[in-house]
Amino acid sequence: MIINTAWKNVWRNRTRSMVVITSMTIGIFAGIFTVGLMNGMMGQRLDAALNKEISHIHLNQKAFNDNFDIQYTLDDIEKINAAILSVEGVEAVANRVVINAMANTATKSMGVQVLGINPDQEMTILDLDQTIIPGTGSFFEKESRSNLAFIGEDLAKELNIIRYKIEQSTIDSMRTREVPDEVLVKLEPYIGKRFSSQKAFQKEMKSLLSPHESHKYARIILEESWSFRSRSKMTLTFIDKNNIQTGGMFRIAGIYDINNSMFEKSQIFVLNSDLQRLTGLNENDYHQTIVRITDIANTELITESIIEKFKNLEIQNWKEIQPELAMMSGMVEKILTAFMVIILAALSFGIVNTMLMVVLERTKELGMLTAIGMNKKKVFAMIMSESVFLSLVGGVVGMIISWIVISLTASKGINFVGAQEGFEAMGISSHIYPSITNSFFIIVTILIVITGILSSIYPARKALKLDPAEALRTE
Amino acid sequence: MKVLELKNVHKIYNSSDIKVHAVNGITLDFEQGEFAAIVGPSGSGKTTLLNMIGGLDIPTEGEILVDNTDLSKLKSSRLIDFRMNNIGFVFQSYNLIPVLTAKENVEFIMNLQKWPKKKREKRTLELLKAVGLSDRINSRPSKLSGGQQQRVAVARALASKPKFILADEPTANLDSKSTETLIEIMEVLNKEENITFIFSTHDARVVKRAKRVITIEDGKVLTDLRN
Ligand SMILES: Nc1ncnc2c1ncn2[C@@H]1O[C@H](COP(=O)(O)OP(=O)(O)OP(=O)(O)O)[C@@H](O)[C@H]1O
Ligand SMILES: [Mg+2]
Repeated sequence: MIINTAWKNVWRNRTRSMVVITSMTIGIFAGIFTVGLMNGMMGQRLDAALNKEISHIHLNQKAFNDNFDIQYTLDDIEKINAAILSVEGVEAVANRVVINAMANTATKSMGVQVLGINPDQEMTILDLDQTIIPGTGSFFEKESRSNLAFIGEDLAKELNIIRYKIEQSTIDSMRTREVPDEVLVKLEPYIGKRFSSQKAFQKEMKSLLSPHESHKYARIILEESWSFRSRSKMTLTFIDKNNIQTGGMFRIAGIYDINNSMFEKSQIFVLNSDLQRLTGLNENDYHQTIVRITDIANTELITESIIEKFKNLEIQNWKEIQPELAMMSGMVEKILTAFMVIILAALSFGIVNTMLMVVLERTKELGMLTAIGMNKKKVFAMIMSESVFLSLVGGVVGMIISWIVISLTASKGINFVGAQEGFEAMGISSHIYPSITNSFFIIVTILIVITGILSSIYPARKALKLDPAEALRTE
Repeated sequence: MKVLELKNVHKIYNSSDIKVHAVNGITLDFEQGEFAAIVGPSGSGKTTLLNMIGGLDIPTEGEILVDNTDLSKLKSSRLIDFRMNNIGFVFQSYNLIPVLTAKENVEFIMNLQKWPKKKREKRTLELLKAVGLSDRINSRPSKLSGGQQQRVAVARALASKPKFILADEPTANLDSKSTETLIEIMEVLNKEENITFIFSTHDARVVKRAKRVITIEDGKVLTDLRN
């Protein structure tokens, strides 16, 4: 009866209630959608880091990570592989030769880490074959007489392997992407010109185009003008097994793009056989074994079992290799919940205000109800229910809308084109697939109810302080 | 049988600097089945007196016994329950919850008292029939006339089977025809069901219908006549 009456009371002043409910709806939608984006972003980051960059567990000699000394190879690699694979929950292992090197092209040089891998084995752990930029080659699929290197997009840009060039065909394909003629006319004088770096090209375009055109078309122009020198080569120089500087010429097998500049710039994949030959290592000399497990929830357990088997080796799981990732995945829910709490705290002021007006308006009625025998608990319950209804109605509508919007955008994702560079510097794709767990909706529902309850306390206390005789006398 | 006793009741309002001796030593008894009007000029203390009888206000001095229970000895939470179970109220206005229908308003107290649904509904219909509103049970107060609203209030006041019904100027906002109807319904209930009514009024036609007329002035009983 009390709840029923409270519900009807909500609709007494329709306009006022709708204002509160609408603000609640908008606030909850904005909050949950943002949470969906952040959640999706962090999930993608974790996913990319584990499946394309670091894998789950690394095993190497104890001192190896200090300065990547070529001498620290693992003894009896076959036995190590077999022992790791015997641990329950381990899906695959792969072995790597790891060498620090300088990468040089005619114009530039960069410090890098060269990973000598067996492509088939590596692909059981990381999805590198899926990261390849179309048209730049493959993940060691083609046989070649020369040494091959699979490098990151950002390194390719640094080494001028990727260049920017406008040709007639570039202009034509820009036209099909709806770049207007007045922009294309401006570009025509540049036909045949080459830019060796992205920066130089962007600078030139910026001075050429109006800010508005630049904002709208710079990205398309950049993408269309991108060109890859096929059969590009670079040299890698490093120290061999006998501490003598050596090196080799490597042809670019393919260019990968994983939305992580740091990684793209520093990690080069080559065939382990090439690297072993050039450094004088034996066929079975590897520095590192990487491990993929079936369920990352078991990370600690499996790490423990592997440590048990190899007391003399260094074993690190992804949480230890990238502590910030572990922290992020552990705290996402807490941070996002805190975010919702802040939004609800802001919205609660609207509810408090409305409920204060309600109590003021109904002074006589509340006096009458106390007079005829409605006790304090029930008056409190009635005001509290009304406040909870206000927050819950808006909250539920907000949750439904966010669920719909997140469901609609979850499969295709949302592309934050303008912010691409910033995202990639953080190792995150600018194409975000919002995602949210059902349990988060439950948490939010509970928070909404708590908001309703807390918002009602002050107004309800005012109602309880009413003296029925006084209340009934007031005009 | 005595349902209500007032023994030397005083009420002094001390708010702001001025002291107001609103009720100044009133002693009265009420029997079961009375139909009593309290009359007096404006400011004479009628509302103050009825509020104290109803346990809405506490006397500064003296005792009020409802069915031998001293109201001033009850804790405030017990007092609310006591009011619910023993005293029916009809106010001048704002008697009903606007979002509830006539039926729901009458049921409200029985709901608080946790009556079983069947019993509750049966009584509600009986009461609304008794006040002549059988055809308006599902109307909200805004769809009822002032007189009809007051009749619903009488039905609601009767719902919990109180010892007596207090009504402070129940007809003040009504036209003469509605006043007539309301007072007639109260009279019938008094005669046929032996319901005790204590009401205040300014209206001479209402006073005429009372079986007992208590006149007060300056917080004191001037006359107490039975006819
Ligand atoms: N809360 C209060 N504080 C101070 N004085 C009050 C208060 N309530 C009532 N009074 C005073 O007490 C006196 C009695 O008031 P009361 O309302 O009981 O009179 P009444 O007979 O009901 O008058 P009316 O016929 O106008 O309703 C009046 O002088 C009034 O001003
Ligand atoms: Mg009065």
